[in-house]
Amino acid sequence: MLWTVTSLLTAATQIESGGTFWMPEQASTVAQSVDFTFDVITWISYFFFFGIVGVLILFMVKYRRKTHSPTTEGPTHNTTIEIVWTVVPLLLVTVIFVVGMRGYLNLVESPEGSYEVSVTAQTWFWTFDHPEYGATQVGELTVPVGKPVRLLMTSQDFLHSLWIPSFRVKMDVIPGRYTTLWFEATKVGDYRLLCTEYCGRDHSNMQAIVHVIPADEFKERMVKLASEYVDMSIDELPAYAINRLYNRCQSCHTKDGSESIGPTFVGLWDRVKSGDVGFTSGEKLSSLYGEGTEYVVPENYIRLSLLNPQKHIVKGFLGAMPSFQGQLKEKQITAIIEMFKHFDDLVDADGNIKVNTDGTPRD
Amino acid sequence: MAMSTTQEQPVTDNYLNHTKGIFSWLFTLDHKRIGVMYLICVLSAFFFAGVYAMLIRFQLLTPEGTLLTQDQYNQAFTIHGAVMVFLVIIPGVPAALGNFILPIMLGAKDVAFPKLNLFSWWLWIFGLIFFLVAILSGGIDTGWTFYTPYSIDKTGAMGGVIPALIGAFILGFSSIFTGLNFVVTIHRLRPKGMTWFRMPLFLWATYATAIIQVLATPVIGITLMLLVVERTLGIGIFDPAMGGDPVLYQHFFWFYSHPAVYIMILPAMGIISELIAVHSHRHIFGYKFIAYSSIAIAMFGFLVWGHHMFTSGQSPLMNTIFSLITFSVSIPSAVKVFNWLATLYKGSISLNTPMIYALSFIFIFTIGGLTGLHLGTLATDVHLHDTYFVVAHFHYVMMGSALIGFIGGIHHWWPKITGKIYNEFWGRIAAVMVFIGFNMTFFTQFMLGSKGMPRRYAQYANMPEFQIYHVISTIGSVIMALGFVITAIYLLHSIFAGRRAPANPWGGRSLEWQCSSPPPWDNFAEQPTVGDCYDYSVLEWDEIEQGYHWKSGVAHPGEETE
Repeated sequence: MLWTVTSLLTAATQIESGGTFWMPEQASTVAQSVDFTFDVITWISYFFFFGIVGVLILFMVKYRRKTHSPTTEGPTHNTTIEIVWTVVPLLLVTVIFVVGMRGYLNLVESPEGSYEVSVTAQTWFWTFDHPEYGATQVGELTVPVGKPVRLLMTSQDFLHSLWIPSFRVKMDVIPGRYTTLWFEATKVGDYRLLCTEYCGRDHSNMQAIVHVIPADEFKERMVKLASEYVDMSIDELPAYAINRLYNRCQSCHTKDGSESIGPTFVGLWDRVKSGDVGFTSGEKLSSLYGEGTEYVVPENYIRLSLLNPQKHIVKGFLGAMPSFQGQLKEKQITAIIEMFKHFDDLVDADGNIKVNTDGTPRD
Repeated sequence: MAMSTTQEQPVTDNYLNHTKGIFSWLFTLDHKRIGVMYLICVLSAFFFAGVYAMLIRFQLLTPEGTLLTQDQYNQAFTIHGAVMVFLVIIPGVPAALGNFILPIMLGAKDVAFPKLNLFSWWLWIFGLIFFLVAILSGGIDTGWTFYTPYSIDKTGAMGGVIPALIGAFILGFSSIFTGLNFVVTIHRLRPKGMTWFRMPLFLWATYATAIIQVLATPVIGITLMLLVVERTLGIGIFDPAMGGDPVLYQHFFWFYSHPAVYIMILPAMGIISELIAVHSHRHIFGYKFIAYSSIAIAMFGFLVWGHHMFTSGQSPLMNTIFSLITFSVSIPSAVKVFNWLATLYKGSISLNTPMIYALSFIFIFTIGGLTGLHLGTLATDVHLHDTYFVVAHFHYVMMGSALIGFIGGIHHWWPKITGKIYNEFWGRIAAVMVFIGFNMTFFTQFMLGSKGMPRRYAQYANMPEFQIYHVISTIGSVIMALGFVITAIYLLHSIFAGRRAPANPWGGRSLEWQCSSPPPWDNFAEQPTVGDCYDYSVLEWDEIEQGYHWKSGVAHPGEETE
């Protein structure tokens, strides 16, 4: 028991490097002023809390009842003191309000010339597009240190909220409109990005990592990311797809054969090729193959399932899949189809990925 | 005939034994019986939602989660929240204790509309039935807030949404009718001598609460109906896919649900004003400031709903205005705390069970109130919103204050309601356990939130450093739960084996202490005249009776003028 507590305490102190009793590490330009505001309020709170509880305990001890029929005396009111303890807190909260408002205006006004990233939230993953480089990241966001970054965000389905605790920034992500948020990272490193607006089953898995890298490496990284798959041969695409594209599928489609919101990817190609898939409409996939039919060949079914997933819903599932129209380039769709064809070479029986993006085996 | 009456033991007639049979309870028009039925129902719902709370705490013992799947966890916090809010805390003090105490405090025979009162209770039962239907028909996982568009999405939210919405709608009417009844009762049935500023402060608090119940609850009713229509017919008011606005729902929802926070806390504050004065045998300090502060809280409470939406995309100007008004609510709350402290000054403080709860309330409410400053401040709320810091804050206010006040009130009026005295020793032990357990459970959650743990997470596998806080929190919740179990045992035990309660065991001066314990069927033979209900100098201890009675030789109010 004691050992468990000690090890937990050690874990808490080790991983939380740079954090304080109340706050995580500061890694953005606004973090310091937010924490300053927090500290001001906290010290005012300590003052009132210890004052009130101190007086409470003092009175509890000093005026404890000794007899059954006590006579008590003492004022029943005192207008002066009551006005004092109304006005003094009023002044204090006014100060707190002003400090908080100034810090807040700093949080909402993004500086001119910020680096733009567009963010798409979807159940239950984050997609980050870098329009300047034509690069897309899923589940991770790479940004340069020391440069303001502005996120232009929208949601494909429900409400989400993007929070980077070490940066002290948060904004809800809403379907049908854009919201924005900005930050300037001050330290190279990896930081958590979390969804803080409840969005259904896998809400607690809707996380991403923010990689803050040196500004001079940023451009090179982005250019590489944008063109990573463009020159790949068809043999190289499956390894790329499982490492770079599968993150968007993982919240609904497992790679170890277990049940989830959508059908598992294990054995998917065999099922699709044989057409042994039933739909909620009662139709069977095999009846949609061949000359003059809807799909003609199995590859078309996968392609259209990505672009128009509501057309046919596999029996036993709810049809929760969003469309990836416009989000996937043609070659990426090909990569996904190739990934299904070679799924057993990419993933072991426990669902662990066996290869790196460049095709080398993972240790 | 005459023979049989003389042979029988003389039975003192009270509301418990006046008529017999289950139907004499289920269809009673007596406010005391309705209050007792509410009490039983609300406490059962509290137990039910408490079981879900323990499931949540055990799930989070390890980073990967221990007991539940993610879907089950999402259902657990939804049911816990919805039942605690709609079935326990909102009806708790007003409908259960208020129904019992309020008319007696007024020296009245009943509330103004007894049939409406019974109807309120039945509506509560129907609301409960719809909640159970929601749980059994596919479950509900939207969170108690039913935020759109998740709640209107048929592939997203589970199938129990519509029954739960209808249940909350019905419970809203139950709450409105109780509020309406109390407003009219306080206006029309006050006894001779009881001017507005001679009312016990519990009545001021209940009155302020009733005003909010009548004015704010219709808004949530309409909102929930719109949500039902949106989910079934797709009218496109909240659904962004049809040009609707999901954030509009949040405005509607909080326009009620923020005032509802005061529906929950104000009556508990009223109880604390009574408990502090009676158990320190000392005239309440600053009566008028406390009374006015209840009204001020009720009024300001209507103007601050936007502070739930600082990160919702609401404009910075709106956020600034809402932040400013939010701070105005903190002042009347602070005034109450200072007045309670000043009441203790030179008092004669008896540390019995109700008083331990009252003192716990001051301690916990102070923390709950002060952490509200962090959340009302714009710059810090952006970081803290939707984290465990918020969870900790509202549990300090809703559970540690509103519910602790309720439980303190139950102990204070238990001898009056049941006519029995509970075991004081175990009462104190349990009260201290609840206090310690509560603070362990929820204080750690402040740090969890500010250090980076979002709320409504079924697991935190990527954040193992938070486990220590969750472990302490769960241990605390077990201590608190044991405290409640002990409470249930000694309270039930007292009904069957408790000592008979005197009319006035604590030395209270308000009218409920002037009728017998338990009260007679019609409370008072004739409406009494009242004086200053916080002047305890007219009471003295009676060793034989083990209670207080009127000092001999001191004139009752109304008599001295004759």
